[in-house]
Order: sequence, then structure tokens, then C-alpha cells
Amino acid sequence: MTAPHTLPVLDPVIHAQPRLRVTVALAALPADDKITFPRLQELAGMTAGNLATHLRKLEDAGYITVTKAYRRRTPVTYIALTRAGRRALEDYTAALRDLLAVPGSADETDAASGASPRDAEPSPGQPDEPPGEPTDAARLTDRRP
Amino acid sequence: MAAMGPGSDSETRLEEGNPLTPRQALVLVEDERDRVTRSLQVNVAAILSAWGVAWLVGFGLAYFASTRHPAVSWLVAGPVIGVLSLAAAVTSFGQPIRRARGIEGASRQVTIMYMLAWPLAFGALAVLNAGLAHEGMPQRLMSLVWSASAAVTVGVLYLGIGALHRDRISYGLGAWMLVTGSASVFAGHPGNFAVLSLAGGGGFLIAAAPYAWGRRRAAR
Repeated sequence: MTAPHTLPVLDPVIHAQPRLRVTVALAALPADDKITFPRLQELAGMTAGNLATHLRKLEDAGYITVTKAYRRRTPVTYIALTRAGRRALEDYTAALRDLLAVPGSADETDAASGASPRDAEPSPGQPDEPPGEPTDAARLTDRRP
Repeated sequence: MAAMGPGSDSETRLEEGNPLTPRQALVLVEDERDRVTRSLQVNVAAILSAWGVAWLVGFGLAYFASTRHPAVSWLVAGPVIGVLSLAAAVTSFGQPIRRARGIEGASRQVTIMYMLAWPLAFGALAVLNAGLAHEGMPQRLMSLVWSASAAVTVGVLYLGIGALHRDRISYGLGAWMLVTGSASVFAGHPGNFAVLSLAGGGGFLIAAAPYAWGRRRAAR
């Protein structure tokens, strides 16, 4: 995954406990399935407000789709992981394993902070990533003040 | 989370105050995946055990109620068989319905279609047997045909679910029920009940064991 002496980049969209929790829960569903907001809340063990906040960030990054429908006149919100989201989680997990495999890099704070500065620059820091979603996601996040 | 920029918004800071170390993150990913997968999975061991007990005890009672000198009255055997079958049916249908709650997509359709296959198959079987009785099939033969055809139908449905999930244990159980059901006819009445009780009920219970074992290992 990484060139020698290059620490893998941790996707900042996923590298946060609540969003990681949600992404993993969505990835555990069969591909192409979608889940209602309350059931996801239950699976991820989060409050409604907290879940909504993090879903927005995942949606902005293109990792999930949020659709609204009516069932028996009641509005229902469905959430589904996109292909980009599924890949982002796979890449993220692979990056974690790479980090842990590099001697010293798994050291508590070093790796986490070592990854962060590189997150700030969109593409050149990610040698193996073909141009596409993860880079877009990083750019989206970087737009924040 | 420095990449997010300090002070992106207060809620983010609150949530992400302590960035995860890679090790913590990997543990979180694996634990969450296991936990969520387990809460989405149907407890197959519970379903097979419920049917195992229902068959072992139910057909066992049917046997002892049908011998030349009945050791059990049908007045006792009948209700017990009914309650055990109902409990097993509730376990089998309740679990997938509860797990699929709030989830839409192909997996839900598969679950609904497969679950519907059971009442459809047994409905057809009931009509078929009622037709045979109507045509004057003797009681002794009715008992052979009804129980054997039910076992064979169960077998076919387990072959189906085994094929669907590429699950060799369920597939093997299906094949075993085909053997048990068809062989039970050769034991005659009421020996057929003893075969279905021991080989059928026993088959369910033996098939339940690896699922229970896998579940316990995953929970550790």
C-alpha cells in the first residue's frame, strides 16, 4: 500500500470514533442494502443528534447516501454506504494495519499526529490511490475553516 | 484530527477531542464489525435446537401414543406437540423478522421469499394429504405419508437455504432429512415416529452444535 518510508495516510473523514462506528455498522450490512435512521442509531449505539451530525459529514464526503421516503404516510430516512464509502473503510483499515506494521509508527501519538499533516494536502500524499473518491473526500474536508 | 482544523465546530471538537491511535482504531473496527454482524445474524443454533426438541419429543410422544399398549394418551401428546411446534415456529420466524427490522434491500426480499416458502409448501402438503384421506387412504398409511412427506419437505427447504447461503451444515441437514423422511416409511406405523424422533430430532440437534460453537467463539 505504501512506498518505503512513507507512513500511510489515515482518512480524516473516517478517523473519528463516531464516524468510524457508523461506517463499520453500514459496511456490515449486505451490499446494496439500506437501513433506517432509528435502526442505524440502535446498531451504532448513538444518540439521534450525534448520529445526524456525523451522517452529514459522511454524506458530504460521498461515503453514504441519505434518502427520504414515505411509508404509510410517515417519512422514513434511509442510509446506505456508497461504493466509495466501502472502499474508504477498506483503505482505512489497510492503512491502520500498515501503520501498525511499521516499527515505532504505532507509538500512541506519533502515528495519529504523523498522519494528520499529510491529510491536509489533497493528492500527492496518497501515492497508491487512483484519482477518485478518497481524494475528493479529503479536499471536501479541507475546505473547512 | 488536526486536519479538520481546530475549531471547525464545537460538536466536532467535543466528539473528536481524543484522536484514536491506530491500534485503538483497528480494535474499534474489529470489535464493532463483530458486534454489529452478530446483532444482524440469525441465531441458527436456537432455531435448530427448537426444532430438534420439537421433533425428538413430539414424534417420541406420537410413537408412545401409537403403540399397541399406548404409554401416553393423545390428549397429552397432542397439545405438547402443538406447543413445541409453535415455539419452534415462533423462534424460526421471529428471529429473521426482528433482525431485518429497518433494513431494506435484496437481503430483505430474500428473507421474505424464503420464509413464505414454508407456509406455501406445508399448505400444499396439507391439501395433498387431505385429498388422499378424502380418496380413502387408510389411517395407517396416512400417518406414514403425512410425516414422511413433511420430513422430505423440510429437507428440501433446508437444501434451499443451504444453497442460498453456501452453508454446508444446513445443506447436509437437508440431505439428512430427505434420507430420514423417506426411510421412515419402511419402519411402518408407529415405528416411523421413532425414526423421525431419533434421526430427525437428533439430526437437528447435531446440526445445531457447530452453530452454537461458532457463536460462542465469536462472542469471546
